[in-house]
Amino acid sequence: MTSAIQVTPRGYAGPGVRFGVPFLALVFALVVGAVILRIAGNDPAEAYRTMFDSSLNGWTSITRTLALATPLILTGLAAAVAFQMRVYNIGGEGQLYIGAIAGSWVGLLLPESMSAVVMLSAMIAVGAVAGAAWALLAAIPKAFFNADEIITTLMLNFVALSLMNYLIFGSLSFWRDPKRTVPGGKRLPDSAIMPSLSGRLHIGIIIAVVAAMLLWWLLRRTSWGFQVRTIGDSPRAARYSGMSVRLKTLTVLGMSGALAAIAGVSEVSGVTKGLEPRALATDIGFTGIIIAVVARNNPLGVVPVSVFLAAIATSGSRLQSIGIEVEVVYLLQGLIFLTVTAGEFFVSNRVGLRAERRAEADGGIPPSAELARGVS
Amino acid sequence: MNESVLVLSIASAVVASIPILYAALGEIITNRSGVMNLGVEGMMLVGAVVGFWAGNETGSLTAALIAGGLAGVGLALVHALLAVTLRVDQTVSGLSLVIVGGGFSSFVGTSGEPGLLSAPNEVEVNPLLPQFMQDLPAVGPILFGHDIVVYAGIIAVFAATWILNRTATGLSLRAVGEDPAAADAAGISVIRTRYAATAIGGFGAGIGGAYLTVAIVGTWQNGLTAGIGWIAVALVILAGWRPWLALVGALAFGGLNGLGFTLQLAQVDVPSDFLKMMPFIAAYLVVILVSANPGRARRLAAPAALAQPYAREAR
Amino acid sequence: MTTEPSRLEVRSLTKSFYGVPAIDSVDFDLRGGEIHGLLGENGAGKSTLCSVLSGLYRPDTGTVSIDGSPVQFRSPHDAAQHGIGMVYQHFRLVDSFTVAQNIVLGLRRGTRPKSIRQAESMVGDLADEYGLHVDPTARIWQLSVGEQQRVEILKQLFRGAQILILDEPTAVLAPQETDRLFEAVSTMVGKGHSVVLVSHKMAETMQYTDRLTVLQRGRNAGTADTANSTPADVAKMMFGDSRAADRREVTTAADVGETVLSLSDVCVTGDSGLAAVTDASFEVRRGQVVGVAGVAGNGQRELQEAIAGLRPIASGSLEVAGTDCTKTGPKGSAKAGLAFVPEDRLGVGLAPGLPLEHNMALKNHDRSPHSRFGVLSSSAIAKTTKRLVEAFDVRGNRRGMRVSLMSGGNLQKAILARELTEGHDVLLAAAPTRGLDMAAAEAVRAHIVDERAAGRGVLVFSEDLDEIIHMSDVVLVMFKGQIVGSFTRESLDVDAVGLLMTGSDPTVVSPSGSSIEIDLTEAPDETLDVATISTAEEATA
Repeated sequence: MTSAIQVTPRGYAGPGVRFGVPFLALVFALVVGAVILRIAGNDPAEAYRTMFDSSLNGWTSITRTLALATPLILTGLAAAVAFQMRVYNIGGEGQLYIGAIAGSWVGLLLPESMSAVVMLSAMIAVGAVAGAAWALLAAIPKAFFNADEIITTLMLNFVALSLMNYLIFGSLSFWRDPKRTVPGGKRLPDSAIMPSLSGRLHIGIIIAVVAAMLLWWLLRRTSWGFQVRTIGDSPRAARYSGMSVRLKTLTVLGMSGALAAIAGVSEVSGVTKGLEPRALATDIGFTGIIIAVVARNNPLGVVPVSVFLAAIATSGSRLQSIGIEVEVVYLLQGLIFLTVTAGEFFVSNRVGLRAERRAEADGGIPPSAELARGVS
Repeated sequence: MNESVLVLSIASAVVASIPILYAALGEIITNRSGVMNLGVEGMMLVGAVVGFWAGNETGSLTAALIAGGLAGVGLALVHALLAVTLRVDQTVSGLSLVIVGGGFSSFVGTSGEPGLLSAPNEVEVNPLLPQFMQDLPAVGPILFGHDIVVYAGIIAVFAATWILNRTATGLSLRAVGEDPAAADAAGISVIRTRYAATAIGGFGAGIGGAYLTVAIVGTWQNGLTAGIGWIAVALVILAGWRPWLALVGALAFGGLNGLGFTLQLAQVDVPSDFLKMMPFIAAYLVVILVSANPGRARRLAAPAALAQPYAREAR
Repeated sequence: MTTEPSRLEVRSLTKSFYGVPAIDSVDFDLRGGEIHGLLGENGAGKSTLCSVLSGLYRPDTGTVSIDGSPVQFRSPHDAAQHGIGMVYQHFRLVDSFTVAQNIVLGLRRGTRPKSIRQAESMVGDLADEYGLHVDPTARIWQLSVGEQQRVEILKQLFRGAQILILDEPTAVLAPQETDRLFEAVSTMVGKGHSVVLVSHKMAETMQYTDRLTVLQRGRNAGTADTANSTPADVAKMMFGDSRAADRREVTTAADVGETVLSLSDVCVTGDSGLAAVTDASFEVRRGQVVGVAGVAGNGQRELQEAIAGLRPIASGSLEVAGTDCTKTGPKGSAKAGLAFVPEDRLGVGLAPGLPLEHNMALKNHDRSPHSRFGVLSSSAIAKTTKRLVEAFDVRGNRRGMRVSLMSGGNLQKAILARELTEGHDVLLAAAPTRGLDMAAAEAVRAHIVDERAAGRGVLVFSEDLDEIIHMSDVVLVMFKGQIVGSFTRESLDVDAVGLLMTGSDPTVVSPSGSSIEIDLTEAPDETLDVATISTAEEATA
């Protein structure tokens, strides 16, 4: 007699499960992280305390965390809106670069004397349009030939990266500052830099949070969102009820690209203050995808998840002082991604032990065919 | 003549293609079982750092490659657990792997005293074939001047082709990737096959990473692979999941870096960043062409059940 | 036939899911060299029993013995080792592989041929031996459904199956292919194999089996020699008493009014790029139910989709309530007054993962009162849902619950509720009672008949001939994408309909003029019972 693991799909997951499971997953990741720290000869408690202090304890820490959360929120939203329709835009990374390129172009092009409001609006608008257009490179083949957008958007990331590198490292382009010996971007004029709220925190965070609320409202409270959610659940039911799947594919991917591009504008204008490929290419787009998944594609969920991940990322700054390498933070971040995404299985399935003789390891999970089909 | 730029750059292109080749071959096997693992870059990084560490400890190329390969397997099994058993979205799981691999490799690379970052390479890599063959004009350096890993990689291409197309194991593997329900009904364990194929993918990526550090670059730096894992992913698509086409593609992409230099000599100015885009643009175009023309492009199409989780009841 | 020893013996087998027994203390035995029919309504436990026998499920209690010795299957592979081969209704073949590759797939070392060439010649020999002709080198996607079925059977025979379980083997076959199948089955039986024929088609069961066992609500309702049974007996075992009478409702024809749906020379292209519907012309008028009979896969789905605007009309024209809807798409057809109850309830009619409220507003979410200037009013949607749920007695919904957790009957009622309260002139209903239990099916039919009484037109598609006959004022027959017959209530000739459905020309078999008129209220008992049974059966599909 051995016990076997029994898995049954959960029809409905209550809030206890929906919030409890990710929390437990997080705790699990932290425990594993502690074990690794211990093996590496460090004191996990001290490490975690230092990490907390440098990311969430005190106003300066919090502003740094929020500054880092800003682009994550935007790329998280970019992924969330596409995932709502089950369109897998994993091109946030590249769309962000395109936004940064287009936004900084506008900032460098328009006269310096222009008012900041007009300047920043123009940068955001042009950046968003460029990002949307870049996303359409995948959306159009998707809408018309059903070309797999996972691969097209993924591939376009690296094209955008090489393009950005070319503009700074590979040529004397409009973006590059010819006076610098180490290749770098021209500094944006003051009117093209997002005003600081406090320390590193700039108004990008407000844009990001407003975007989250707006997106939530669009998806939940408008007939546009109604259609997006219907298509996400069942494209055939959507077509049956007269919705245009093709048009929505174009608009949703376009919107997704625009949001990621705004993250790029926000970074280039609020953080790097010029087109700096090295500082921009830090997996913000990829992280946004994982954020969206953890937030279950809910725009309002994207904000706290992004802040939390940003907190982890900033938490390394003082680790050096207690003799721990900053890199442990990346490790921890990765562990959290893995455990939390794995946790989704336990949200959608009920897993329990069942005492039965069952030698087959790869065994099936047999709920009745009749019941599973839901036939009365 | 064997010192000429052209010969040397072709010879170095062959060597540069090897990490891509191993990673792509592994990914082909993984994909053919229906598992999409976008975490190649992460697995390569882990293989690279662990391989470098093992090489430093032992001075042995074999030890470095095996350690690197096994490190890749370890990470791949995490993906298998998530994607196959827990049926997490494979794209998300793969991307997580990239981030985990990057984090883990940087962590390992900086840990300990002295860290690997400043460590010299202790592994000696020697050409396999006798000196007189290496001295042959042109073909010597290009074909006969390489180490065992290069030749093993080419043998692996033929082995993979033969196994996939000519053996019962290959038939089972492809069945799992094309139609897991049919494979299951025929008595093949879908779960076991997919775990095994994912592990092989990790082994390939790990070896590729280890070879990169101990045989090509010779040092460890954070993020050392610099997108080679992604090139491998693109190459798998471009090659239509066929090992021998992956060999052709790997050689082409391995040559891209050297190509910029050669073109400059030939007074053709193609910026290297544009050359770097090529694999990705090509893969992007191939995906669109295959979708737009599904009948004619059937041979280049992805395994039918790629990236689809399988549960016996879900039919 | 003399009593032969049992090849397979099942004693008091029980298997429950979530505490609900799907089969309950079932006894069953299969003799050597017999064809044994396993009958039962949808949900009676046939598929559960087969899944236990083929090693997919493990029984809770009870025993299975083969040739007198008890066995326990841990997996389908295990069952195959004991000589049990299952041929599923949905084939488990790898499309891109060849016939021979599929057949040797998964065979362990020692049992598998040394090379693919050898496999091909062995498969060829086996195919000849059993009369299951198919090219071993052909790829599965190149084969017809009937050929694919032969591959499945060959696969089991190749693995040494002595006991074959055929799950609804004729559901997907054309009549000629059905004949060929049963020829092969009798060859197998002649060679000592035993065959379990899972079916809910009375006619073929009576014609081809030696014995039959009927399951009813998970219990064995009886086993009998086929030769000594009448369809009426079997029907009684399947449905219990007082079943047949329910179906014999008298339908009153309302006043027939203007045309609300008209098709002229409509041609539609199928997914494969070939013509799926050719020159379909007919009309539906107010107060009229037009029923389209036909074996599944003869262009019905494509025609439905074309009428609903989901599939482009290649040539010809379509009018809904006087509006030309040839090229207006799903919105155009709906706007002109078409209500559509699609074949696939979940996935087309309803978005499975979204709550009932969302689904009830699926078609009119963008109109007042459900939304204004693109902004939804959730209170208006909730109000509509409440009204519809009450009016159509939709049960089993909890707030926020995904609709896929509701039962089939309630899902269908929900769709009807949504479709029938919009201002519409004509209802298009596809397989409206498929898979429903009897009470739910009755309720759905009542709603459809009410539509006629309310002076609207109805076009109903069903594979269930009895249902078509008893609801329709006009019966159309569809075969290979064409309307091959049209009958009014007065001219209705059930035999002719049956022949047309299978592609035969009724004028050859029964000369014109001698058509038998069927009295719907006083049908001869046996005819009716057979027909009734052939109805309930479509349920599983």
